[in-house]
Amino acid sequence: MNWLSRGKALLAVPAYFYRMVVVPLAAYLPAPLAYGLACRRGDWRYHRDALQRERIMRTLEGVLGKQLSPMERARVTRDYFRLRCCEIVDAMRLGGKGRALARLVEIRGREHLEAALAGGKGVILCGAHLGLYGACGALLGIAGFPVTVVGRWPSRTDPTMPPAVRAHWRLIIERRIMRHLRWPAIEPEPGQMSSAVQIAAILRQNAVVTMFIDPPALSPDRTRTVAASLLGHQARLLPGSVTIAQLTGAPLLMVFLHRSADWRHQVLEISPPVPLDGDTAAAFNRCIALVDAAIRRDPAHWIYWSRPEDLIELGLLPTDFSRAVSSLCPDRQSLTERRA
Amino acid sequence: MESIINDYISRELVRTPEWLPLQNDTSLLDTNILDSLSLLKLVMFLEQQFGVQIEPEELIPEHFETVAHICAFIRKQQQMQASR
Repeated sequence: MNWLSRGKALLAVPAYFYRMVVVPLAAYLPAPLAYGLACRRGDWRYHRDALQRERIMRTLEGVLGKQLSPMERARVTRDYFRLRCCEIVDAMRLGGKGRALARLVEIRGREHLEAALAGGKGVILCGAHLGLYGACGALLGIAGFPVTVVGRWPSRTDPTMPPAVRAHWRLIIERRIMRHLRWPAIEPEPGQMSSAVQIAAILRQNAVVTMFIDPPALSPDRTRTVAASLLGHQARLLPGSVTIAQLTGAPLLMVFLHRSADWRHQVLEISPPVPLDGDTAAAFNRCIALVDAAIRRDPAHWIYWSRPEDLIELGLLPTDFSRAVSSLCPDRQSLTERRA
Repeated sequence: MESIINDYISRELVRTPEWLPLQNDTSLLDTNILDSLSLLKLVMFLEQQFGVQIEPEELIPEHFETVAHICAFIRKQQQMQASR
């Protein structure tokens, strides 16, 4: 190890200490205090991290145009920082039996899920990257539903993640979510073919499979995307969840996790079954219309505002947008180049 | 069996006409005819058509490389399930 590497390693120590010691301790303070501190930290980051703040505000403007005034964009951006800090507290409170978080989350529409499971073909619960999206499956597991999730952990997919944050995700957040799932998460990898069959095998056991329908497609899958109207643009998204539901006969419901105005209580809202008649693209567009409404209801919940390279791949931003924001975050520029 | 499986793949899964007529020794993986969802369709068809049960851990490329490989795999599954 040379001197530069040693210096970098030493500089990272406070970040590790904060993530591995301070955050887990603070998360178990009484909820008003824990989430109050998280909001204060979010406000501090909003003021201090000018590059990220500017990047999010430009991305909001790039996607939503003049739908938000500059003042509203600033509020959404501040709330974005607050939400990300509150979500770390959420993940910590999933430890043990997860009751510290579960008692702050009201599950609405549980009757829709129970009725769908009574059909005996399992249930596909589709969501979007809103709030601590991975916790949807964990919260349903805590509520007694046999559940697993489909998705790739950011610690494995985001090469720009700082080492302390990556370690925090791998050692703390992912483990706390996973412990409440009946089966290990299904993580589709590029070129891996068995994911859909794995999902069908779990549905056959009359279980709940949670999937997210708003991420950009991996490069081998791009030819299978369909156009869907999202936030006033024609996004290219994978309708795999609908295809699996149509093939297996499993009902498809939507699920969204929203934080209340007091920042500590949340609502996990489950929709009635989405009609799957007609062709796959039409049924998928019905699902995306619900995602669109959920994002518009409270834009700050959507995590993609800080990832313009993903929004470019989705088709929500022009391809030359990355050049406009790359100077704000060189690491992200290299991510875009690597993906290209 | 070969013609039934070949017909199904040609009709339901081949998206680019350049691979038609499909040969029994054409690689379904190199030609991208099979992906995650089309494999699910194929597995559901094979289970229904030939009365076999295919587990996720049996979904290895060696079993699904070509129509000929699929037939060999299904015959083996039928023999194993008959001997139980």
